[in-house]
Amino acid sequence: MMTAKRDRRWLVVFACVFTLTAAACGDDAEPTDGGEAPEFPAGSTMAELQEAGEIAIGVKFDVPPFGFVNPQTDEVEGFDVDLGRAIADELGVEPNFIEAISDNRIPFLQDGTADLILSTMTITTDRDAEIDFSIPYYIAEGRVLVPADSDITSVDTLAGRTVCTATGSTYEANLTQNAPDAELRLVDSYSECLELVQTGAVDAVSTDDVILTGMIIQDDTLQLVGEGYTVEPYGAGIVEGDAEFKEFVDGVISDFISDGRWASTYENWIGQYTGESADPPTMTLEEALELRPCEETC
Amino acid sequence: MSDLWEVLIRHFPEFRSGFLVTVQLVAVSFVIAITVGMLVGALRVTPVRWVRFLGGLYVEFFRNIPLLVLLFIAYLGLRRAGIEIGPWVAGTASLGLYTAAYVAETVRSGVFAVGKGQIEAGLSLGFSYRRVLSHIVIPQAVRSVIPPLGSLLIAMIKNSAIIGAALALADDLLKQARLINARTFQTNEVFFWAAAGYLILTVTATFAVRFLERRLIVRR
Repeated sequence: MMTAKRDRRWLVVFACVFTLTAAACGDDAEPTDGGEAPEFPAGSTMAELQEAGEIAIGVKFDVPPFGFVNPQTDEVEGFDVDLGRAIADELGVEPNFIEAISDNRIPFLQDGTADLILSTMTITTDRDAEIDFSIPYYIAEGRVLVPADSDITSVDTLAGRTVCTATGSTYEANLTQNAPDAELRLVDSYSECLELVQTGAVDAVSTDDVILTGMIIQDDTLQLVGEGYTVEPYGAGIVEGDAEFKEFVDGVISDFISDGRWASTYENWIGQYTGESADPPTMTLEEALELRPCEETC
Repeated sequence: MSDLWEVLIRHFPEFRSGFLVTVQLVAVSFVIAITVGMLVGALRVTPVRWVRFLGGLYVEFFRNIPLLVLLFIAYLGLRRAGIEIGPWVAGTASLGLYTAAYVAETVRSGVFAVGKGQIEAGLSLGFSYRRVLSHIVIPQAVRSVIPPLGSLLIAMIKNSAIIGAALALADDLLKQARLINARTFQTNEVFFWAAAGYLILTVTATFAVRFLERRLIVRR
């Protein structure tokens, strides 16, 4: 904690010195690429990121269609990645996408490994005590995925069966609440759940519908059963207490939603596979937090 | 400081259950490792060439595959091949058979540490090959393999954490710590206690091995 604060202070000093030098050099030293990027008050996270020239964004690497590595290009792609690019563009910096699994994304923000988290993260009050959330940028719902020959028909028929989901996701609590007699298998990443359900090592996978849809895209012998049983508003994760940066990210997300980019991104990553259409979220952060009242730490 | 104790007290049942699972994992795997390791080690020192080769094959196979990969093969690989292996069996068998390769090498080096001259002397005095082994070679070999076996036990205690990390095969100490961490976000405190748990096991193992060494010591 102490060192993180000290690091931050050094960055501020560094940024000040750099700004002074840049000012002394005059206007002709201005870089050409960041022409449209707005200026931010010195010392703000936005100014620091512009100084660094890049923003480290933690995304999933194995969760199509939100964040996954395209095997053809080796690049990470998806809905979260597109939103991350929009935020980096607004700052006029390069996005540096790093892998953040459910288990380590909050520590990544806290220790400075990531500047921003866009990793299919549901807004919860417990998490809000550790980090700050943007406004919801996507609303997913909890569903159940099973092999084609399964007799499981919904979350209510999971009793006595093994269900896979990720450590550190909201589904540990979701399943304990909605399927108390199911046996949970908590793994590190959803790709492991896919492996386990394919080999019959678990009877079902339960998590957000979009993540499960991604699994069906990879293996169409799997199917979704039952109705959605939870509402999962996704928010971008921001370092606790950084109000300026949160305001900035909220602004980019609002623009992303209102200028039509949200709809085209949705169609590109989700709509074309499910054949469904969706409206952008209108839920506020407060409403999202009310869905997940405090359970453990706050 | 108070956070540290609070985490332990609040989540003691999970820590305890994880600790016990780790103890069981290590105990079962160690029995497999010692039994199979001695057997393979014996194969490695027989005078028959193709039997030695078989032993060598085992050692090279299990020593050259990373434990994590072995776990994936033993669990997902076998399941994909239609063998319904359970997580516990896959986990302990992998760790046990993996460590057995090292045990076999330790046994071999222990036997070789007994001078060839002693074996020849034994044979020339009219001892049968079997009696040379049981009266001259094995008593000395056992003494010299105890310290390296202790090191293997400690390595195995730490390797057992991979079983919990891979595909959630067992809810061992590390896995439980990560589950508590996912709920409480008290990363430093939670992993401090996990480390303490492993330390209890490794330090106990160290003392047990030292006790054995002292019991078996030969005053020279």
